[in-house]
Amino acid sequence: MEDSLIYARLRGALPASPGDFYALLAEAGHSLTSKASGESQSAETLADTRGTTVLALKYKGGVLNLGDRRATSEHMVMYDRAEKILPLDDHTVLAVSGSYARAMEVVRYLRHAFQYYRRTQLQEMSLEGKVSEVSRMIAANLTSAMQGIGGFLPILSAWDTAREEGRIFFYDALGARFESAEFGAQGTWAQRIRGIFDYVVKTKGPFHEMSLEQVLREGLVLLDIAADLDALTGGYSKVPPLALSVSAEGVNQLSEETVQGAVEKIGAENHGD
Amino acid sequence: MAISPYDWTQSIRHRAEYVEDRLREGSPVVGISYPQGVLLFTLRGTQRKVFEVYERLMFSGLGHQADLEAVRLAAIDFAHEEGFRRSPEDVTIHRVVVALSPALKRAFGDVLSHPVIARCIFAELGESPEADCFYLLDYDGEFTSQHRGAVVAGTPEAEEEALKALSAAETPPQSLEEALRTALQAWALAFGAVAAKPSATEGGGAEPAPRREVEGVVREALKESEMEAAALERDTARRSRFRLLTSEELAFLRKDYA
Repeated sequence: MEDSLIYARLRGALPASPGDFYALLAEAGHSLTSKASGESQSAETLADTRGTTVLALKYKGGVLNLGDRRATSEHMVMYDRAEKILPLDDHTVLAVSGSYARAMEVVRYLRHAFQYYRRTQLQEMSLEGKVSEVSRMIAANLTSAMQGIGGFLPILSAWDTAREEGRIFFYDALGARFESAEFGAQGTWAQRIRGIFDYVVKTKGPFHEMSLEQVLREGLVLLDIAADLDALTGGYSKVPPLALSVSAEGVNQLSEETVQGAVEKIGAENHGD
Repeated sequence: MAISPYDWTQSIRHRAEYVEDRLREGSPVVGISYPQGVLLFTLRGTQRKVFEVYERLMFSGLGHQADLEAVRLAAIDFAHEEGFRRSPEDVTIHRVVVALSPALKRAFGDVLSHPVIARCIFAELGESPEADCFYLLDYDGEFTSQHRGAVVAGTPEAEEEALKALSAAETPPQSLEEALRTALQAWALAFGAVAAKPSATEGGGAEPAPRREVEGVVREALKESEMEAAALERDTARRSRFRLLTSEELAFLRKDYA
């Protein structure tokens, strides 16, 4: 950071928008906004690494996030240990599908933005504020996403400390956000398995009334279906999916053994049929 | 307006005198390492004095509130910009202080503007108490570093007095409670060492002497001030290591001096 900026702060010059990390970065000369290059052929020669299916399901006491571990570039599997579900702070988790590079940058930004606000303003950023901050990042990325590179779609899961309930927000490519009552899914096959979610809710009851174990089971089955239908989704047979819950107690990553145990149980039940 | 070198030296001298006079009766801040974390402790009026800067970094100080706030924001800005650009591990206490120091020096030397009235203490949490670190940053940009414990106070003599007591202890504090007890004693020594100016009504005349009886100083101070302490905790499941201690956690100290 430039000496002159520090000096200005010491002389009492407040930032134009207090607590706004985006404004601070702009002041320090960073740009998070993707620039239009005027030509789009670069996107055709450049293939970015992409994460595929991620799910967020409510359960009694919070939200469970599930994601397979595969990251692909065109038809190639780049990595089978990708972490596409990332805690932002003690009460919010971002699950991302799409451009891995861009999504990681955004997660790093959001972690800093929430903390920066809290530390400078001496109060927690409201959930509404956090939800909007994610929209802002998607909008800032628009030019590049339109050129076919660097697009990503997140699901934000949160424990709402004011209402004391789990909440799920999903976004469209322009940054519009929608709140979901029961579940969110994003990624290559997500839109096509949404009907199955509705089927589960209508036949087995709403997710938010199920236990964590039950929701984990349902989520794994859904992920398996997505993997069956979609060549880009990793499923759960090779590497157990990543599972993170967010609740009043904070963010908790379920151990690989727990997830593996649930996977094996599903396998045993299916053989019993 | 033209300023001669003589004018400048004179102004700087007056300026230092002015700032030191303003700092003199400020409430000291004591920093101490203990096995479970690192602590900053002070007594204050109505406003908060100990703040989180970054993941392993906190800040406090004495001086003018607006100036302390300015230093606090500058430190937070630097830490977050740096932490985002590189990584949180690249934000160290030394880098933050070294980034602020030249700006403070420049502000002090700029005799045509108001001086920054602030004497700051930064504390950094390490992997072990030995690796914890404190930096003291003065209004003119001068800084020093310390391990185990550190004190900022109204005068250098007061700081020395309290620091001597801190390092005289045979064993370093083994718990948060012990650390708080030690911190309050050191605070009282530092505060008492800045002898009150003889008041006009008492006729003055008598040479002011430092007050070394901790109990009297604490009792009197607790009548008008509140204790404030914050810790950076070494082992915590929370993402944020910084925690402002509650008044319940500090209540036992009050009982000691009831």
